[in-house]
Amino acid sequence: MRASEHQRVRDPVHNLIVFDTDQQLERMLWEVLCSRPFQRLRRVKQLGFSELVYPGATHTRFGHSVGVFHTARELMDIVRERAGVDRLEAREKIALAAALLHDVGHGPFSHAFEDVGKELGIKLADHEQMSDQLIRKSEISEILSGYGSGFANDVADTVKKDGPQTVHNAVVSSQFDADRLDYMRRDRLMTGSQQSAIDFEWLLANLEIADLPTGVDEKGVGDVPTFVIGPKAIPAAEAYVLGNFQLYQAVYFHKTTRGAEKLFTELLIRLFKLVQDESSRKVGLENTHALVQFANSPDDIENVIKLDDTVVWGALSQLRESEDQLISSFAERLQDRKLFKCIDIRALVHHEIDPVNFGKSEHIELIDECCAKVLKKLNELKERKMVSNGIPAILTDKESRSPYKTGGRSHGPLERINVRTEGGALIDLKQRSDVVAALRDFKLARAYYDPEYPEVAEDIRSIVKEEVRHVTDKT
Amino acid sequence: MSQIKPELVAAIIRDAGSQIIGRTRLQKIAYLLDVVGYDDGFHFSYRHFGPYSEGVADSAMMGTLLGFIAEEKRQAEWGGIYSIYSVDAQPDHSVPTGRRELACQANKSDTVVLELAATAIFLSEDYNDPWFETARRKPLKIKSGRLVKAKSLLADFRMIEVPSPLPDFD
Repeated sequence: MRASEHQRVRDPVHNLIVFDTDQQLERMLWEVLCSRPFQRLRRVKQLGFSELVYPGATHTRFGHSVGVFHTARELMDIVRERAGVDRLEAREKIALAAALLHDVGHGPFSHAFEDVGKELGIKLADHEQMSDQLIRKSEISEILSGYGSGFANDVADTVKKDGPQTVHNAVVSSQFDADRLDYMRRDRLMTGSQQSAIDFEWLLANLEIADLPTGVDEKGVGDVPTFVIGPKAIPAAEAYVLGNFQLYQAVYFHKTTRGAEKLFTELLIRLFKLVQDESSRKVGLENTHALVQFANSPDDIENVIKLDDTVVWGALSQLRESEDQLISSFAERLQDRKLFKCIDIRALVHHEIDPVNFGKSEHIELIDECCAKVLKKLNELKERKMVSNGIPAILTDKESRSPYKTGGRSHGPLERINVRTEGGALIDLKQRSDVVAALRDFKLARAYYDPEYPEVAEDIRSIVKEEVRHVTDKT
Repeated sequence: MSQIKPELVAAIIRDAGSQIIGRTRLQKIAYLLDVVGYDDGFHFSYRHFGPYSEGVADSAMMGTLLGFIAEEKRQAEWGGIYSIYSVDAQPDHSVPTGRRELACQANKSDTVVLELAATAIFLSEDYNDPWFETARRKPLKIKSGRLVKAKSLLADFRMIEVPSPLPDFD
């Protein structure tokens, strides 16, 4: 077959990505890529509202997913080389399909949509649940069944980190998985950020495979094979950890992006509640609109497939005309980028408790405690203080991120970056890198307020001062 | 923020005997109580470590910060860190006996076995043979006879009088 008969994709990160349609697996995965649920990812932006801050960040989950598949193939070459295998193993095929499909269930504005689901108990708003359903029970599973009846289930299990744990799973989920290796490079490129560069080729050249212990609470359950790095890649691994950490602070947790997400979440919660209370006429959308259909039957997978970012952006003009003031106000704010103002609670508290940033553990504990108390007070105030007709004057935000990727938060060996020393021992990167060892979890505690009500900002600052006084008086 | 209810997680710990070892054990006890009708309003979804509620996790964290719950972290022999949650509270005898019995019994069980039992219950909503499905998904954890122990544990749980009986799929 001539090269031109293969399916080829030009990609801003990887340049040319070829699906070798002579191979049954890649032919099938190309068919998956052409399916309706996967094409939907063209309309789900990878970074949601980040384009409000980084105008270039309009790349999609579709491009990222194809990039993850491509990176997974590169990682598989390493797995085969290290294991001395030259044929395509069954577990490899499953992992490659899982790499392509790992994000297929993301809804509009991904994590903000998931927050709506958590608030209202909507199962399919959770992208993991939705991905699972799409892989097991949709036209994607029909395509995957070309590899046998159990193939779709095996792929879904791998995305969920279930099933037999071979090193192929590490390609889909580990400290050096294809997802992270793609999104770090793609998000850096598309946001225009000049920090967070990684030495991709050198990292891959120094990946090794090792068995690491895993467990549940206090009980060990056995060893799992995964990727570790050789000693020559310590500086590259250091940059990898730091780069990821910086992306979280500069991009994913940006105050403006998170502020837009908060408005979006409040808007959708109100919209879904009104529809479910049979007050959909107040919403301002036709009953046939995808958002209304989803609100009416959120467990219907067809209704979730209809949702994407464009459905939301496209609805904002109509939502501005909604009878409900929160919906009309927040739709206008999102469309015109007139967002709430942010007050960094943690920065204020930190300044009061540890002004010169000694960073002692007792300081951090006090700051954590104080931020929790302030947010609790602000949430109580939010319920009491509506500026008009149920529009909150305050929205709060709280999040944290560990320097390492954590799955179960056990901080076990699989949740660290492990280095194989010259002597053959496996140690935590932190034992070799003072820089990584010094990193603490990044935590944010923020309040957003309507700038038309500057007195609310004063209320917020007063609560911060009061709580700082309480916790410092105690000590 | 409505899923953050530190008082309710503190009550779960109190009803389980005032101390729970491990985040997974806490999650599974909260899940069992939810399934049998002692609804604390947390939503659970499937994760590779079984039924999980972010609300329970966030509430436990917030509870420690606000002083409702004490959390001590220890290093396990296998290399991970586990938490010991405790509350300074006497048993509340107004709490239904079934709730306290179930929470205490789950608390005394092996955490991996408890995870398997809770997973099978969760999967029974969608699978005719949830034990088979549990075994298929967790081949490492079912080793050392843990699946048989999970079945036995679930049988013991079913002996406890609760508002909504646990699903019977054996």
